[in-house]
Amino acid sequence: MPSVLSIVLLALAVTAPSTQDGEAPPILVTRQLAASEGLEQGQIIRLAPDSRGEGGRPFRIAGVYEPVPDPARLGTLPREVRLHLPDLLALTRLPDVPAGTEYVEAINIALVDPAEARNFARDLNARMPGVSARPAAEAAGSGATFQVLRRFHLAIALVTIIASTVFLLALTIMLVDERRETVGLLRLIGLPVRRILVQIFLEGLLIATAGGLIGLLLASASESLINAFFQWRYDTALVFVRITPYVAAACLAVAVPLGTIATVTASWVLLRRNALRLARR
Amino acid sequence: MKALGFAWRSLVRQPARAALGILGVAAVGALLFDMLLLSEGLVTSMRDLLDRTGYDIRVTATEALPGRGPRVTGASGTADALGALPHVRSAIAIRLADARLEGDGGVPLQVGFQGVAGGPGRPWTVLRGRDVQRPGEVVINEGIAGQRGLGPGDRMIFRPACDAESDAPPAVTLEIAGVAEFPFEAVNEGIAAGMLETIDTACGTGGRDEADLILVASTGDTDAAAAAAAALRPDLHAVTNSEVIERFSESGFTYFRQISAVLSAVTITFALLLITVLLTVSVNQRLGEIAALRALGLSQQRVVANVFCESALIVGAGGLLSLPLGILLAVWLDRILKSMPGLPAEMHFFVFQADALVLQVALLATTAVLAALYPMRIVARLPIAETLRNEVVS
Repeated sequence: MPSVLSIVLLALAVTAPSTQDGEAPPILVTRQLAASEGLEQGQIIRLAPDSRGEGGRPFRIAGVYEPVPDPARLGTLPREVRLHLPDLLALTRLPDVPAGTEYVEAINIALVDPAEARNFARDLNARMPGVSARPAAEAAGSGATFQVLRRFHLAIALVTIIASTVFLLALTIMLVDERRETVGLLRLIGLPVRRILVQIFLEGLLIATAGGLIGLLLASASESLINAFFQWRYDTALVFVRITPYVAAACLAVAVPLGTIATVTASWVLLRRNALRLARR
Repeated sequence: MKALGFAWRSLVRQPARAALGILGVAAVGALLFDMLLLSEGLVTSMRDLLDRTGYDIRVTATEALPGRGPRVTGASGTADALGALPHVRSAIAIRLADARLEGDGGVPLQVGFQGVAGGPGRPWTVLRGRDVQRPGEVVINEGIAGQRGLGPGDRMIFRPACDAESDAPPAVTLEIAGVAEFPFEAVNEGIAAGMLETIDTACGTGGRDEADLILVASTGDTDAAAAAAAALRPDLHAVTNSEVIERFSESGFTYFRQISAVLSAVTITFALLLITVLLTVSVNQRLGEIAALRALGLSQQRVVANVFCESALIVGAGGLLSLPLGILLAVWLDRILKSMPGLPAEMHFFVFQADALVLQVALLATTAVLAALYPMRIVARLPIAETLRNEVVS
């Protein structure tokens, strides 16, 4: 055992002795810990409750597991092991604490009816002073973190859209200006402004839709690249980018009207001018 | 007329497209500026917070965060011994506990409690009233004062949640000496603090003399003080603020650094592409005009410089505008991110750094040069006679 492990106290079960007489109790180690310390299934290791390694006991690695990705601990190597609760209590029990009087930090309860979680917690808090019961949804503080990150990303997206709109307007003004003579000639041969505007609208719609779809294709192609990079960078199974149908629809719902409106607006400014002036005749 | 003046007139002649180009660069530049601030903002803010406490070394029993690992035993004696070391100005031991503030029939308020021994300093700043002077007295933060309408001279009923192995201790009544500010308090978080004896008495653990961490203020030579602390108690871990920052920058919120790097790269590429397109389309529309200028005697370098100056003017004006926009945007984004639960109220994600400004200027300058390259090439290789002929024929 090259270094002393700091044990994150996660127990798998509270029932039944976990080992037969004389056999080292089984534990699971995280994939990252196994990789960093060169641990393998079946290997016997010693775990100790303090950094000096005193009071250590042998354990057998029964398997290697992928820890549930935790965004709150991104960037930290999950050096964790999982052991049966009786083994954990036996390992960490202080000398002056009689067996059977140990404590656990938390008890997870699965209700028959999950909708009753709030009432159950309230009832338990009233009946057992000193115990704090909370529905899991409220206990998971990181849930609020995700909501904040979502708002942050939406804000970034909003700024990007504003910047894109400004550039789009500048480009469409220039592109429309390039077609000034063509539009002037169309006006001179009798096409009404509305007809030309409808044509420009359809053209803008087509271009914006095509642009939006190409953007989605680019995003889909980069999705796996971004995920692969961050998963490699943080050695995690977390998914950082996921293009869902909702996200794709939202992108198109913003991009297509925006592109179309930019084209029509820029063209409308041009079409209001005199046809002869447009045709430079 | 110099190239810059000529470029200025070219832009002014088409105010709409020039204004839109500048606005676009400003918006992208603002986002870029914010991402540069975000990349080091948290670390800078954390360093500032740690420095503001006045203590530059943290001593704990293990490498675990205070409150999540075993406690330092013989805390008061250790704090006194550390305080007497040559390179140490003062040392205080702090024990942390959760507590429930009982209301008048209302919902109890979950608060944090800090018990302090040693001194003479305290890791809080008294805002109203006075500091604690004896066991049984506490200072509370604005979170408790505001939510419970309490102030100096009032009493409050505490039910501490101490060691998990001990029985649930009975509620105790404590006297509020003052209202204080704690450097790491989160928004709406309730914190109370008093002497170590107060928490020991409340928890019924009197005589244990344990602390979650000991804060040490050096006389100036932090490394020497940390080495002395480690020599005094080799079983403990002494880390300086710099080491804390180093660890934090390696693990804490690295996501924001990564996302800022990705978004910086994307925004700068976006700006580069769009300015290139704007300039290219603009130049293509003026090929006849440029050929005529060349025919009138303007040198190749002169018309190329004109295109470059146009790019510089658009990016320069947009870049200047991006700074106030970026600051406003940073305030907004910071407010969004600070609503994360458990973050210290004084911690910021976007912190102004001169390095970020220098990098912003360098990136935008590079963008201006790169964006002008292709349109400059078009202008430089423009066949004068053929272009003029095409212009006349068309």
